[in-house]
Amino acid sequence: MKLIKAIVRPNRIDDVKNALEKLQISGMTVTEVRGHGKQKGHTAVYRGQEYNVSLLPKMEIEVVVPESLLDAAIKAIIEAARTGEIGDGRVFVMPVDESYRIRTGEKAAF
Amino acid sequence: MMEPQSTEAAPRRDAHAARVEHLAAARRELADASERGEGGRQALKQYSHRADAMIQALFADAGPGSQPVGVYALGGYGRRQLCLHSDIDLLVLFADTPDERFLRSFLTPLWDLGLMVGHQIREVRDGEQLDGDNPEFLLAITDARAVAGDATLLDRFIERSDVVRTATRTLDALRGLIAERHARFNDTLYQLEPDVKEAPGGLRDLFAAQTIARLTDPGLLGQGGSGLRSLDDGEEFLFRVRSILHLETGRHHNVLSHELQDRVADRLGYAGATPRQRVERLMGDYFRHARALDRSLRWALRSAPTPIGPNLVRSSEGVRFTEEREAQDRPESWLGVFQAAIDLGCGVSDQALSLVQRHVNQFRAEDFFPTAADRAALLRFLLPRPGLYARLSEMHDIGLLGQIFPEFKAISCRVVRDFYHKYTVDEHTLLTIRNLERLIGAGPDRERFSRLLGELDTPELLVLSLLFHDVGKWRDEDHAVESLRMARQMFDRLDLEPSARETVEFLVANHLKMSVAAFRRDTEDPEIVRQFAELVGVEDRLKALCLMTLADVEAVGRETLTPWKAELLWRLYVDTYNHLTLAYGDEVIARDPSGLENVIGARPADLTDAEVTEFLEGLPRRYLQLFSRDAVYRHVREARAVRSGSIQSWLDQTEGEWELTVLTRDQPFLFSNISGVLSSFGMDILRGFAFTKPDGLVVDMFHFIDEEQFLKLNEGGNAHLLHVLEDVIAGRTDVAVRLKGREEGIFRRRLPGFAPVIHCDNESSRRYTIIEVVAENAIGLLYRISKAMSESGCDVDLVLIATEGQRAIDVFHLTKAGAKLTKPEQEQLMENVQRVLEGPS
Repeated sequence: MKLIKAIVRPNRIDDVKNALEKLQISGMTVTEVRGHGKQKGHTAVYRGQEYNVSLLPKMEIEVVVPESLLDAAIKAIIEAARTGEIGDGRVFVMPVDESYRIRTGEKAAF
Repeated sequence: MMEPQSTEAAPRRDAHAARVEHLAAARRELADASERGEGGRQALKQYSHRADAMIQALFADAGPGSQPVGVYALGGYGRRQLCLHSDIDLLVLFADTPDERFLRSFLTPLWDLGLMVGHQIREVRDGEQLDGDNPEFLLAITDARAVAGDATLLDRFIERSDVVRTATRTLDALRGLIAERHARFNDTLYQLEPDVKEAPGGLRDLFAAQTIARLTDPGLLGQGGSGLRSLDDGEEFLFRVRSILHLETGRHHNVLSHELQDRVADRLGYAGATPRQRVERLMGDYFRHARALDRSLRWALRSAPTPIGPNLVRSSEGVRFTEEREAQDRPESWLGVFQAAIDLGCGVSDQALSLVQRHVNQFRAEDFFPTAADRAALLRFLLPRPGLYARLSEMHDIGLLGQIFPEFKAISCRVVRDFYHKYTVDEHTLLTIRNLERLIGAGPDRERFSRLLGELDTPELLVLSLLFHDVGKWRDEDHAVESLRMARQMFDRLDLEPSARETVEFLVANHLKMSVAAFRRDTEDPEIVRQFAELVGVEDRLKALCLMTLADVEAVGRETLTPWKAELLWRLYVDTYNHLTLAYGDEVIARDPSGLENVIGARPADLTDAEVTEFLEGLPRRYLQLFSRDAVYRHVREARAVRSGSIQSWLDQTEGEWELTVLTRDQPFLFSNISGVLSSFGMDILRGFAFTKPDGLVVDMFHFIDEEQFLKLNEGGNAHLLHVLEDVIAGRTDVAVRLKGREEGIFRRRLPGFAPVIHCDNESSRRYTIIEVVAENAIGLLYRISKAMSESGCDVDLVLIATEGQRAIDVFHLTKAGAKLTKPEQEQLMENVQRVLEGPS
């Protein structure tokens, strides 16, 4: 099992969700986050006053997938989230040792 | 030899003799009743009735006046409580200037009868100053009763007065008079020789309690104190005693002295073996009644609600109607209850809510705002401020909101199931308004949105739009379209101005567009921002739509509007604002008339297509969003006469503001000269626009406030201002000379404010260098800044002027020799502008 954590543009979240659902991956956690990567924010001006916008709004998707679906899921996320511009986001992949269903206490099997 | 008598003298004598006999008979009747100990309420009423007949006869004998006149009984006579030796207090009220002949003819015979007449002479227009009249008159008039002549004049007199101020002043005066009177009796009712009229617990206290109730809450005396029955008994007892005192003394005497106590006890038939026993019983009764009256007066003073509006008082349970019967037939007055509750920061009483709920269905929407003033009051009511949501919710609960806006009734308790909404459609709508009102004085997380709300010119239209934004959800189809259709039904009922209609139409039709753009589009894409800027057109609409979106999203559910979403929304707002104010210079109207169909298609016959197209060509597209079609056509016409060095200019007035429009050919220092002329007349420039076409034609418009009322106070002031403007532009007058004194005064008076901000932007526009200045607003500020720019060799091509509170926000689009400024030129210009903002050292 792998945990995929993807940081994407807010307006791409629906596309990413749809792409994952096409792979029969329906369980996911979506969080509103703020941060910066290579963009490191930018300077904005409002009424003559400059201010630094260092943390940009992004969406974070967490999804746990079996290793057999990992590559397809990563590919789907990247294709759905990509605009080609700086600020498209990142995908992280982490191992998941075990998983339990809270309602029943049973160990989940992938 | 006897002088010959006039032919009228004998009948006059006969009439006088008849009146003497009539008066004597009336007095005998009251004296007999008093002698029997029956000079109470009924006897006094009968005597007052006979006095009425006498006054009516004298009025008729006085002959017709030169104008309508009415005679009114005041004070005790007005209450029909005239005692044997009471003064007869009258108000003679004329429609216009008092008729001296009539007064003499009417009053002289009264005096001849030996009556003590207290008379007040007024004319109807004196009602305007009623609240400044003497306290005794204010109190006396609360009992005024028509006796003879035109009975309608008093209503006209009262209608002219400020009812609330008058009632408040009357109550204040009454409180003062009570305290003063009681002090004369050492503030105790237990007097061994009491004055039955003046002493604490006497008749005056009873009248005072009744007056307080009449002015505030007619039911007041039945709700507390000693109760109505005790008051009736006390009044009857005191009248009977007083009648005997007048009878026994043969004069206006109200003190129940030891000597008179014996006689009063006898006449009232008190039992007892000795006079002392009879007197003790009499005085026991007196103190019992005096205590009851005293208790009721104290209750009235303590519990009386405060008059706050016509037929409105504020009581401990909230705002209520004084007279229910009067209120139930006047639906146009109902909104006043809710308005007053918001103004006073209190609730609406159950009495008012129940009354409205009982009668609301009898009226149509139009009945609630039949006049322009009522319609304006309704819009004022919708100004977002704390309490509006609570009051609107009450109005909705009792059916009033749905009756005023039948369209809103369609979504009452409407359930629409989706993944997001947590509340019924009506409650969601009202919550949007609560969200808006909570922005006022909001903390740091919402401060930026709060400031936007404060910048809206017509925030009430935003609330009106919120009320209608989801009414279309009564159907399951595209609700924004249906909401718009339903909102349009309301426009005619409210007789909304065209510009107000456009604002509401825009907001209702597009209420979902900003959330879609902010949350579902890539707002880092300049094209998305450009498209959105094109949709909103101008900053005011952007601000209103931004706030509408914020309020709408937050009203979906408790946690729907996260700080993350608020941030996205704000960023779209800022990017769009910057596009509207910084990039508009690049988006000009092309010669291609496509996109100009609306303007060209509706052109008047005296203009040609070519003429309109040629005028518009090269102007920023923003021009068409700022000016109505009629304004555009006027500009086209006036532009015909513009030659080099000549100007076409005019002034218009709109709701407390003035508008100066200038069409001329561009020349150095033009903008600073125009703004300088306005400042030299003390005008405070609030906002404006300046457009320069590539062919050199300039269209400038300034909105300003005539701070010193020059235009109002000086006949021909408009022409004078325009004449000076013409002289300055033609170079015949130096505006700097006209401004010198004012500028020195400004710098002398200047207080430490916030530091000015100057920002130079060479990126946002392909054609212009943009200078944004945010500084403390001051007369002549625009003149000084633009003059510095011209002195730096810049052409001021486009200007946006805005004022928000004490803050002036001016955006200048500049070129130098037809190109953007170089870096050194920018730095030099910034220095120059900074210097003028700091003023002379």
